[in-house]
Amino acid sequence: MYGETGTVMRQEFAELLRQHRVQQRLGETPVTRQERGLQIRQYRQTVLIWCSQAMAATSPLTFSNHTPAQPNPFRHAGADGGAPAGELGRAIDVAKERSTASPASSQQLTTPSGLPFLEHWRGAARAAALAEHDTATDIARRMTAPQAQAVVGDVAAIAQALVILDQRYRSTPGWEQLAQGSRLGWAALATALDVSLGQPDYTVDALGWRPKTKLIDGPPRPGVLGVLQAEHNLVVRMRSFPNATNLRYVVDSQRLLSRHLVPFAERIDPRLAARWAERAGTYALLQQQLRRIGGHIGKGGYAAAEGANAISRLRALPADTIVEPRVLSGFQLLFDRLDHRIADVIEDGIDRRAFFQRVTVPQLVGDSGDLVAPLQERFVPVDRTANPELIATVRGRLRPRSSSVVATPGASRADLHAALIHRPASGEPSDVRRL
Amino acid sequence: MQRRHAHALGQARTCLAALADEASTGNRDDASSAYEHVLIELDRIHCDETPDVYLGARTQDRAIQYELATTAIEELKTHGVEPLSVELLLWMLDDAYSQDCT
Repeated sequence: MYGETGTVMRQEFAELLRQHRVQQRLGETPVTRQERGLQIRQYRQTVLIWCSQAMAATSPLTFSNHTPAQPNPFRHAGADGGAPAGELGRAIDVAKERSTASPASSQQLTTPSGLPFLEHWRGAARAAALAEHDTATDIARRMTAPQAQAVVGDVAAIAQALVILDQRYRSTPGWEQLAQGSRLGWAALATALDVSLGQPDYTVDALGWRPKTKLIDGPPRPGVLGVLQAEHNLVVRMRSFPNATNLRYVVDSQRLLSRHLVPFAERIDPRLAARWAERAGTYALLQQQLRRIGGHIGKGGYAAAEGANAISRLRALPADTIVEPRVLSGFQLLFDRLDHRIADVIEDGIDRRAFFQRVTVPQLVGDSGDLVAPLQERFVPVDRTANPELIATVRGRLRPRSSSVVATPGASRADLHAALIHRPASGEPSDVRRL
Repeated sequence: MQRRHAHALGQARTCLAALADEASTGNRDDASSAYEHVLIELDRIHCDETPDVYLGARTQDRAIQYELATTAIEELKTHGVEPLSVELLLWMLDDAYSQDCT
């Protein structure tokens, strides 16, 4: 996730920016300093590669917040002016390509050096290597323009940090300064100012690579944790498309689970209890509407079994059990995911014609027999227009409303910016370890 | 499927759905779920190829619905449904009804 890798990078650079008198830290002899200087340049090259890739991935979405008025609407506004983000991307590319240092190898990224000073560089480079997943092109496609602005702002801050550190390390034996370092610094400053004119969206921290959710195997956990375990496994099992019968079992289990969890939630969080009572009502309505629908495509037997596990474990709980707020929010999280998935299953099933609509058999008045053979009734695929109630339930009640997430820049961004303008206190060199 | 078989199935589904809905509105969720399971099992036995419920043919009396459902399910034996499955369905229905009445 970009939030994690970006935070690590910023924390490590903030720490490096606060360390002065680097020659003493690099080693006693010029040879040692040269060796470690080369290692740092390799780590720096890894960070530059990430900066370059992030700028390239977000470039379609980066627009200047300070574009001059263009009287001709058919001309691109930033075509002749050169947006600051574009300049920064070019400056980073120049610095990356002209550097003779190779990027740090996997072994260098994963092997601790034992030197705290180098460990900060290694941490930053490792986070940059991992961040290549989080700002890759396929993830950048899902970004909004304000989210891309937040990434560009982060790259600008890290580029500024690289320029400052480059100046500080210039007396290291064999050190190679960043190509056009001053231009890179000015471009980073211009980009940071340009980004600050807009409103970058820091929800970008939630994007990126995540580890795959796995089943919680093993014997059932005691108490309410066993219910949570079964519900988690149900969410994982629902990745496969269920057939209509098993979908109805899952819907039934969710109705009962929500209803029976209400008394436990009421003692801790009445608002959550009211929400779950409403959820139980939604599933009761959905259950009625799904009786009219059938379908053979899909499986979902394991999902139905996990739903039954959750119910049986919940029924075995003593009525006076106290459920911790953390467990309750865990249930809410799983409920939201499952509701989304079930809504997707129903809508996808209708679109893929995986479900069919049941038809009523004409009722017989008696055994008089028909002189004229009636029209044969046939099962037909479910149609959206023929099932407005089901679609309304799925869209209006089942699918959780997207809560407006207010994301803040976070402490690490503020800390890095503070470190960029940091100066050691007079008479107290900052490299002296504080007691 | 013969028309009489389909009609018996439709009748059984209608009564079971009515019993489940009635239990649900009375906040007897466990009983409602038990009726629903009978309904799903009935559909599963018929490979989900069952007719829709008759929306306009419901009575309010729970005992009458139960009797009608039992009769309709028993009738399935005469249409080639395995007797053991029918007995299991009747046992599930009886269990659900006793939960509903307690």
